This record gives sequence, C-alpha cells and structure tokens, in this order.
Amino acid sequence: MSIAWQFYISSILVYLGVDVMACWGLNLQFGVTGIMNFAYIVFQAAGAYTAAILTLGPSSRSLFQHYIGGANLPFPIPIIAAGAVGALLSLVVGTFTLRRLRVDYQAMVMLIVSLIAINVATNQVDLVNGSAGLSLVPKPLSQVLNLDLVNYQWFYVALTAVVCVIVFLFVHQVTRSPLGRTLRAIRDNEHSAAALGKNVTRFRLLAFVLGGAIAGVSGAILVEFIGTWAPGSWTYAETFVLFTAIIVGGTGNNLGVAVGALLVPVVFLEATRFLPPIGYPGLIDALQWVAVGLLALLFLWRWPRGVIPERRRRFRKPAPG
Amino acid sequence: MSVLVASIGFGLISTSILAIAAVGFTLQFGVTNVFNLAYGSVMTGAAYAAYVANQFGVDIWVSMVLGGLFGAALSLLINRGLYTPFARHGLGLAGIIQVTLALGLILENGLQAIFGPSYHSYQMSQGPSFHFGSMVFTAVQVGIMGIALASMIGVHALLAHTKLGKAMRATAADAPLARSCGIRTEFVTDIAWLLSGLLCGIAGVILVMDLQSFTSTTGSNFLVPVLAAAVLGGIGQPYGAMLGALIIGMVSEVAAAVTLPQYKEVIAFVILLVVLLFRPRGILAEVASLKEVVA
Amino acid sequence: MPGVDTGHILVVEALRRSFGGVHAVDGISFEVQRGRITGLIGPNGAGKSTVLGMLAGAVQPDSGSIRVEGKELAGRPAYERARHGVGRTFQMAGEFPRLTVLENLLVGMPNQRGERLLSALLGNWTRQEEAAVEKARSLLRRFDMTAKEDDYAGELSGGQKRLLEIMRALMSDPHLLLLDEPMVGVAPTLVGAIEEYLRELCDHGLTILIVEHELGVVERLCDTVMVMARGALISQGTMRDIQSSREVADAYLIG
Repeated sequence: MSIAWQFYISSILVYLGVDVMACWGLNLQFGVTGIMNFAYIVFQAAGAYTAAILTLGPSSRSLFQHYIGGANLPFPIPIIAAGAVGALLSLVVGTFTLRRLRVDYQAMVMLIVSLIAINVATNQVDLVNGSAGLSLVPKPLSQVLNLDLVNYQWFYVALTAVVCVIVFLFVHQVTRSPLGRTLRAIRDNEHSAAALGKNVTRFRLLAFVLGGAIAGVSGAILVEFIGTWAPGSWTYAETFVLFTAIIVGGTGNNLGVAVGALLVPVVFLEATRFLPPIGYPGLIDALQWVAVGLLALLFLWRWPRGVIPERRRRFRKPAPG
Repeated sequence: MSVLVASIGFGLISTSILAIAAVGFTLQFGVTNVFNLAYGSVMTGAAYAAYVANQFGVDIWVSMVLGGLFGAALSLLINRGLYTPFARHGLGLAGIIQVTLALGLILENGLQAIFGPSYHSYQMSQGPSFHFGSMVFTAVQVGIMGIALASMIGVHALLAHTKLGKAMRATAADAPLARSCGIRTEFVTDIAWLLSGLLCGIAGVILVMDLQSFTSTTGSNFLVPVLAAAVLGGIGQPYGAMLGALIIGMVSEVAAAVTLPQYKEVIAFVILLVVLLFRPRGILAEVASLKEVVA
Repeated sequence: MPGVDTGHILVVEALRRSFGGVHAVDGISFEVQRGRITGLIGPNGAGKSTVLGMLAGAVQPDSGSIRVEGKELAGRPAYERARHGVGRTFQMAGEFPRLTVLENLLVGMPNQRGERLLSALLGNWTRQEEAAVEKARSLLRRFDMTAKEDDYAGELSGGQKRLLEIMRALMSDPHLLLLDEPMVGVAPTLVGAIEEYLRELCDHGLTILIVEHELGVVERLCDTVMVMARGALISQGTMRDIQSSREVADAYLIG
C-alpha cells in the first residue's frame, strides 16, 4: 500500500471510531431513552476543547492563539478530563431541560443550547480562540513513541480501537441491564414508568450524562488526532448526521448503530471525495446534505427500525416439567 | 440615551418581523401539533421566490405578496405530501420532529444548490428616511411595521370574529371533540398550514428587505429566535407569540445597544430558558395545560 | 401508630383541582376501606379520571389532602406514590410497546439492584433478576398469558394490554391498586376472568379503587360505589342504594 493510501485509510478508521463512539453515546440518550438531544455535538465539542487545552501549553507562550488554561498534561489525562467535562456540562444542561419539558420543547431548547454555545465559543475569543479555533494540538505520546508518521497513524488507529472497545463494553453493560430496560420503558411511556415508581427525571439525567461523557471522549479522540478544532465543525447539522446514522443503523441497537456510523458519516460522506468536481465549490457539499436528509426520510418511512433493529430480549425458559 | 432610543427603533423592526413569523409558526402548531423545524427554510424559499419575481422586474412589494403565496402553497404541500403521510404511517411526535428537521436541511441545501452560496439582494430602494426623535426609519422599515400591524389585526379579526377562526381555536383545544361537533378538522388543518405559510413567506421576504442581502441559511438562522418568541409566549397561543416577539425583539436589540452587541441573541435566549424554568409552557399557557390533561 | 386509621387505607379530604378556571374536582372528601373494591362512577366529565390522576400523582391537586396508610402524599411526585404502595393502570395505551410482555412486567419490579449504574456495569444483578423473572412468570401463568411472554406489548390486543397493565402493577405488591376503566376493549369472556382475579386479590388483602363506565362490572365487583358529577361526590353506598337514588339518576340523565 502506498503511503498516501495508508494515510487515508488510517485516517478514515480513526474517523469511523470517533463516529461510532459518538453514535453510541447519542443512542444511549436518543435510541434507548428517547431524549431528542439536538445539541449533542456541543458536548463532543466541549470534550474536544477540553482535551486540546489540557494538551497545549500555557496560552501566554503562544503568539497566534488565545485560550484559557493550557496545562501540558500527558496522555491519557486530557481524554479522561474531556469525558468528565462532557458529563458535567450534560449535568448542567440536563438539569435545566429534562425536568418538565415536552419532547418538542426539549428539542427546541437543545437547538438553542447549541446556538448559545457556538455564539459564546465564537465571540469570547480569549476562551477557545474564537472562530479561528484551536490548532497545533500536540499528538499524544508522539514524543515518547518516536514513530514515523505512517506508523504513528496506525498507532492512533489502535488507540482509537481500544477506546472504542471500552466505550462499547460500557454501553453494552448499561443497555443489557435492568437499567437499560428501565430507560427503554421511559422512552416508550414515561407516565407508566413513573407510575411504577421510576424517578423518570433522574434516569433521564443519568442517560444524558453518560451520553455526554461519551460525546466528550469522542471529541477528545478526534481533536488529538487532527490537531485542530473550530466552531465551524460543530453546527446542529452535524448532530443530524449522527441522528441519521442511528436511524439508518437501528435505533436502540449498539451493533446497528455502529453499522449506521459506518454507512452514513463514513461511507456516504466520504464517498463523495472520489467524485469529480462539478459546479461551483460547495455544490457537492450542499447536495450531500440534501442526500443525508433524503436518506433519513427514506429510512423513517421504509425501515424505521433500521438495518439491524433493536433486539428482542428473550429470557431463558425453565426446563419443561 | 439616544443610543437607547435608537435601539428601541431597531427593536420595533425586529419585533415586527418576529411577530409575523412567530404567529405563523404558532397558529400551525396550535392546530396540528407539528413542531415544524423546516419553518426557517420555508422562509428562505419564499425569499428566493420573491427574488426571482423581483429579477423579472416585479415591484418588491408585489414580490413580497408572491413570496407569501409561495410560502402558503409550499407549506400546504409539505403537510399534505410529507407530514400527514408520515403521521398516518404511525410515526410519533419525536419522529415527526426529525422529519421536519430533515426537510429543513433538504430545502436549505437544495436552495443553495440552485442559487449558489453567494449573497443575493432585491432591487429596491429603501426610500426616504423618517425621524422620530433619535429613531430613524427608512420607508421600507415603516412599511414592514405597517404590514406587521396589519397582519396582527388580521389574525386577531380572523380568530375572534369569524366562524373559521372559532373552528381553528376549537380544533387547537381538542381536535377529536371538534370533529365530533361537526367541524371539518381536515379543512381547518389545511387552512392553518396555508395561513401559517403565508405569514412565514411574508416574514421571509421582509426579513431580507430589512437585512438587504440573504443566502440559503438566512431563514434557518432566524428560526431559533422565532421559536423562542413562539415558546416564550406559550406555544399555540397567537397572542402569546406576539408578546414573545415583542420581548425577544426588544430585549435583544436594547441589550445589544447597552451591553455586548455580539451577544444580542444569546441574551434573548437566556431569558427564554429562564422563563421555561418557571413556566415550562410559556407565559400564556393555560389553554395548553388544559389540552394536555384532556388528551 | 398515631395518625393511622386502621379501617381506611386511603383518606381524601377537600381535594380540589381546576383547569383554566373550570373546577374539574371541587373539594371532594372520601375514605376507602382496606381490602375492599370501591367503584368510582359518574357521567363523562364528572372528574373521575382527575381524581384518579391526583391519587396516583399524575395530576397535582390545587389543595386538599391525600393520605395513604396515614402518610400525606398530596404534592408528592408519581414515583413516590408508587413506592408507597399505590399502583395504577391507565385508561389507554399504558404499555411499553417496544418491550416484550415479560420485560414490561420486569420493569414493574421495585428496588432493582441492576437499575443502579455501578451494578449494571459490574453485572452483579443476575440473581435478583432470576427471582423477578420467576415472579413475572407466575403472574403470566395465573392470567393464562404464558404463551405471550416474548411478544412485544405493542402487538397485544386491547384486552391483553389491560391485563398486562394489571399484572405489571402487581409486580410491586401494592397495597392500593387504582384501575382506570380496566374493562374497556376487553373481550367479554376475559372480563369474567379479570373480575374473578380481582376478587381473589382483594380476599388476600389488596384494596382496589376502580373507575368504570360499565355499570354491570361495578355491580358485580364493587362493595362500595361512589358517584361523582360536575366535580363533586353526590352519592355513596352499595350499588343497590345508588340505583334507587334520585340524585344519581338525575346526574346521569342531565350529565
């Protein structure tokens, strides 16, 4: 394989891992618990900024970008901190929005949250360097490992895979347990769940915080790889791609969601790279968004349960007699 | 002081545009319960429709009416062709919201694919300026406020004094009950979408007349303030939406003048979030809570 | 114990709730005797469902008192009522449609260790789960629903959904069971079976408050009947007393 192809494929694999993780987190909130978090990408961004700032040195030594903090912390502290910040931000936002609001109000409040977040990140330039964003984030362990560029790429693929496995075990344990069952019950009928003694708000908040933590980790893995993060990369439309991936893959099914993350953000959006350029710059992007929207509509109409539907849980039967 | 007064002038313009859009949004939502996130993109669509007419030499005010009609037709089409079939297909509230978001994305990017990513402007003059103390309005802005006022009076007259308006309110309060009382709820629903689309289209065109240039994302960028105004007043409540528009429009412009201009929207949204904390259904929400219990 | 009325499991005083200026429930007071089946009837819009909603915590009263086993529950959220032994079913669509029948019942199990995050992650909930499955299966056997165990609840018939809700509420061994029109849409053959089973539960000490439209069911099932009209309690007694009451006849005719 040529170096260029190795670079390309390893990068795609990292992106895939990040999208799969992000989709698992969103699936826990939306697919399992039924929370319409249209601000999901904000929590990924919060994780990314956190990891970037903690990895970068103090801002005062940088001439071209301004941000708060800067700590030069070693791997894996920035990634863990990113998860913690994602969880903490979710706790704050969730406490305000999940209490008594109907699902459509929640969706709207989440849109507003994402707008406020982008506004603050863009305008408060000394926070995370405004619209230019952060860049030159050092790659984790690159000094220690001393690998050449291509091998470092493959190392990062392995790192992403390990984090993916951890996140999978986490969401798998949650969804297969009575906790996951109660979350699905709340998704199906919150009033019945409350009548059975479930503290619906507390459970929703739990799912929201866990999903937010995973979003934060996914942002950290991505920013440590690409080295930059700017407000342009986390608009609400990006959240919609993840929603579409979940719908296409199979709402509520972790395996299906992973397949959805492969099909929609990776295959579907990457494939257009290989199209010959047509029209003005940006035309392909616009058509791509049209296609993602149509794909979501198609699946909602034809296959609302997705490629791999939520599994029917059967319990072992006692031996007859 | 004069900065403050001038900002009240800006606030009046914002309020006017917001009020038309928010009342349109809330009329439809009240009757049909569809939280239409494609609303902003329909505004943009109407703005482009008026742009095309304007390019053929049609006067801008006539183009505005055409834009409104386009919005009405498109909204009816969207509901008949997309939302109603999906709802009949058994898609729940959350699913329909995703359908509306998907449609919004398709419309916005479809328009960009057709008209390109650059900014467009209408061929029009802003007309002579009028001075009211330290407030200055162009003739176009005075026209915008006049249209807003006329629309609000029209909506009020329709709801309060016509049989159709009463049928709409009855359908909003309890659709099955209204149906059993002999109200043709499907017809009322169509009218709600047409009326909502008309207001949406007009709002889209006058937004651009005020901004003076626009692109495919202009309407969807305006969507969140519209939602905020509609929700602040108590969604499904046309008078609440007017009040919400006044609060959001005034607060954002005045706050921008006296504090941080870059946060003018943020301040308005924060007010909305705080209001929702204490009144989760908005300011004028009695009817909405009744509806919930009856349902 | 002070404050506990041993004869009455539920004591309601001056309960009031209005919606947009309409008094849906206008200051009603009543008691429900332990181990009995009490019926709550009345014409449409009388406020029966609002009363039930207030007892279950789905609707909060404007004022008044609701004491279950001597504990004041007015103003407490629904889930706390359930934990205090108040179970309920819904008038329509109360099931978890995308959960299987067995899973629906398992959700009704109180104090599940596996609902806590740490236990879920460690997976040390399986033994408790086995006991819950056993309990759910014995309920299924009793209602002759074993064959439906793995069916999605959303695919059941209307009557089966009703049964499912009753079984689900019983998973937590409630002291007081609130049933909101449990016989709507239930096949006539099944109605008899449900009635028989409810009687049996009562004989074992369960108290039931039932809102029901079908007067035949109320007549066969209920020891005591309360009649509501326009937000007020207008009559109370055995079904025979009620049927001879002029006021009740008027309320039903006038509505």
